[in-house]
Amino acid sequence: MALALAAAACIWIVLGPAPTAPAYLVAVVLLVASLAASLIMMRLVDTTRRRMEAVLHGRTRAEERAIEALRGSEAQWKEVFEHNPVMYFMVDADGTVLSVNTFGAAQLGYSVNELLGQSVLKVFPAGERQMAQSNVAVCLENIGRTHSWEICKVRKDGSSLWVRENAKAVRRLDDRLIVLIACEDITERKQAEIALRQSEMYLAEAQRVSHTGSFGRRIGSREIIWSEETFRIFGFDKAPSVQLSAVMQRIHPDDRARVQRTVDRASIDEKDFEIGYRLLMPDGSVKHVHATAHTVADASSGIEFVGAVTDVTARKQAEVELHEAQMNLAHVTRVMALGELAASIAHEVNQPLAAVVTNAAACQRWLDREPPDLKEARGALDSIIKDGNRAGDVIQRVRALVNKTADQKAPLDINEVVSDVVSLVQHELISHRVLLRLELSPALPPVLADRIQLQQVVLNLVINGIEAMQPVTDRVRELIIRTSHDDSGHIEVTVKDCGVGLAPENADRMFDAFFTTKSGGMGMGLSICRSIVGAHGGWLSASGNAGPGATFQFTLPLHQEDSPP
Amino acid sequence: MTGRPAPPHTITSAEEAIVFVIDDDESVRESLRNLFRSVGLRVEVFGSAHEFLQSKLPDAPSCLILDIRLPRVSGLDFQAELAKADIHIPIIFMTGHGDIPMTVRAMKAGAVDFLTKPFRDQDMLDAVTMAIERDRNRRDEAKVLADLQALFATLTPRERQVMNLVTAGLMNKQVAAEIGVAEITVKIHRGHIMRKMAAKSLPDLVRMAQLLGVGPASGGPQT
Repeated sequence: MALALAAAACIWIVLGPAPTAPAYLVAVVLLVASLAASLIMMRLVDTTRRRMEAVLHGRTRAEERAIEALRGSEAQWKEVFEHNPVMYFMVDADGTVLSVNTFGAAQLGYSVNELLGQSVLKVFPAGERQMAQSNVAVCLENIGRTHSWEICKVRKDGSSLWVRENAKAVRRLDDRLIVLIACEDITERKQAEIALRQSEMYLAEAQRVSHTGSFGRRIGSREIIWSEETFRIFGFDKAPSVQLSAVMQRIHPDDRARVQRTVDRASIDEKDFEIGYRLLMPDGSVKHVHATAHTVADASSGIEFVGAVTDVTARKQAEVELHEAQMNLAHVTRVMALGELAASIAHEVNQPLAAVVTNAAACQRWLDREPPDLKEARGALDSIIKDGNRAGDVIQRVRALVNKTADQKAPLDINEVVSDVVSLVQHELISHRVLLRLELSPALPPVLADRIQLQQVVLNLVINGIEAMQPVTDRVRELIIRTSHDDSGHIEVTVKDCGVGLAPENADRMFDAFFTTKSGGMGMGLSICRSIVGAHGGWLSASGNAGPGATFQFTLPLHQEDSPP
Repeated sequence: MTGRPAPPHTITSAEEAIVFVIDDDESVRESLRNLFRSVGLRVEVFGSAHEFLQSKLPDAPSCLILDIRLPRVSGLDFQAELAKADIHIPIIFMTGHGDIPMTVRAMKAGAVDFLTKPFRDQDMLDAVTMAIERDRNRRDEAKVLADLQALFATLTPRERQVMNLVTAGLMNKQVAAEIGVAEITVKIHRGHIMRKMAAKSLPDLVRMAQLLGVGPASGGPQT
């Protein structure tokens, strides 16, 4: 500024009013001006230098501060890197550990130095090494992309830990490929997962072994959630859920409507339900299942059915086989009982047969008369027809008892059953000098039963009664058969004898199979009788009389029109 | 059964012969009634031994057809009961099945026959014929015996004593010595005896003594 002023002054002096000033003056002025300019210049330079120096100094300070700050930051990041509860590894393409944080090394039971320069495979169990290698290889193939996986590692002490690793490969400035790996310890979660999986496996196994599947369905929903075993029972491929309609299709057509009704009613009432039904499988086989369900309120205030369905086919099959075996045994004992009655039955057939033969002879003689007595002959023929039918009826009854028939339950009058039996044992009664008293209550309501089986029961009880009175000589051998009807909807049949009575020690055992007090007995009679009565929903029991003898009685439920067959 | 003989006239001609039937089975007893009626026999049927005993038995040749198994009382027991009660009606047993011990017992006890149901009508009729014939004979014999007993009753004790010894084969002299009288007295007794007993000869008297069961062998009257 001063310099410019001086220069301007000089120029003005020199070129200004030139004629007004001499040259020396000009020179002096110039000199003075130069000096002044020099001085000013010197001052200027000095100021500038000082300013520069100040600037320089300031800059150095700032740099120092920045370095300071950088150092602090680095230490901080280092701290973060070293102690962040994440394991950091940096490995090269060969898997050599270039860097590891203290936390990471410590988690594996190593110091950092123990790992640096080592193969990272050192921290993997033998079984996981190949996977570790291939994971690194994948990263190297996809540079810059993050990959993650779960893998098991092994500590220095041999214990293992599960980690989830996030890794990516990057190219360093020096063009080297490195892989950065951050891993997080997930051992607890993994253990929980394993425990859960195991528990699920146990559950699935238990379901499989017990043939019991579980299901769940929100009321109103058409979808059902099934367990694996339920899929297996129903013969469906596993799926997240199944449609109710598909399930219904699998149910045996004869049971479908009933199941639908039950499910619908339960859905409306929001009530627990229990139902047995059959499945018709695609191969035509039939499965018997039993389902129970109860309602639970789920989180979103809806109602859900949660239940179990059990494949009871094997049990049903066993039941059927047991029933068949019992029927066979009942048949055998029936035939045996008839064997005991052979004389009686022969008598029952022989009497009318004798009458037929005699009447036929008489008829011939009436016809041989001169003139033939047709009226008498016709009378004899009427008798022949009547007696022939009577013999036929006896044979019919015996044949029915001997025949092996399946259950044929039908409403029947218990008094008729008693009469049928009585007609077969007449001779037995006579030859054992037994007086039979029938106290049959008239007009009893029907029971739903198998006629032959009930005949067998009554027959057995009557034969037992007759035999029990065999040793009796001091009183009339009286056998009473009574039928009655009580208020609780049961028919009761009582067979009372005045024989030897029941030995108290046998009272409990006499209904057991193979228990007998008779020398020739098989001990099945009463056992079969009890199972027959039981199969009819009744109960057979025995008690000693106040006087001599014993009373056997059985109850049967009355037949109700709407009761299932 | 064709070509059967005509109904036996011995039965139809038998006066008042009557057949009794006891069987608890109505069909059987009615069929027997029909059979006997068809051959013109009188027949009466009963459901039990008790019923039979309640009825009045006619004084005529008869027989009883009895089922061996009867309610309450067996046929065999009833047979024994009748014998005890001195009722000597010939019995034909019927049984449902041939039971040899029972048959033996029945026949030993005097049964006429033992028929197994169903029986041939001719077997039954033959048995009945035989039974009635037997009963008639029995009745005839009984009548003869009763007549003899009436005659025997007219003898004095001494005459009975003499009859005993004479029919035992003793000579008059021996008899006289035995009872300590003169031989002539024996002869007089003997004449009375022959007349009272209507005996035509000594063998005739011996037969009578046998029928009456008198004489030394039978433990007749002795002094």
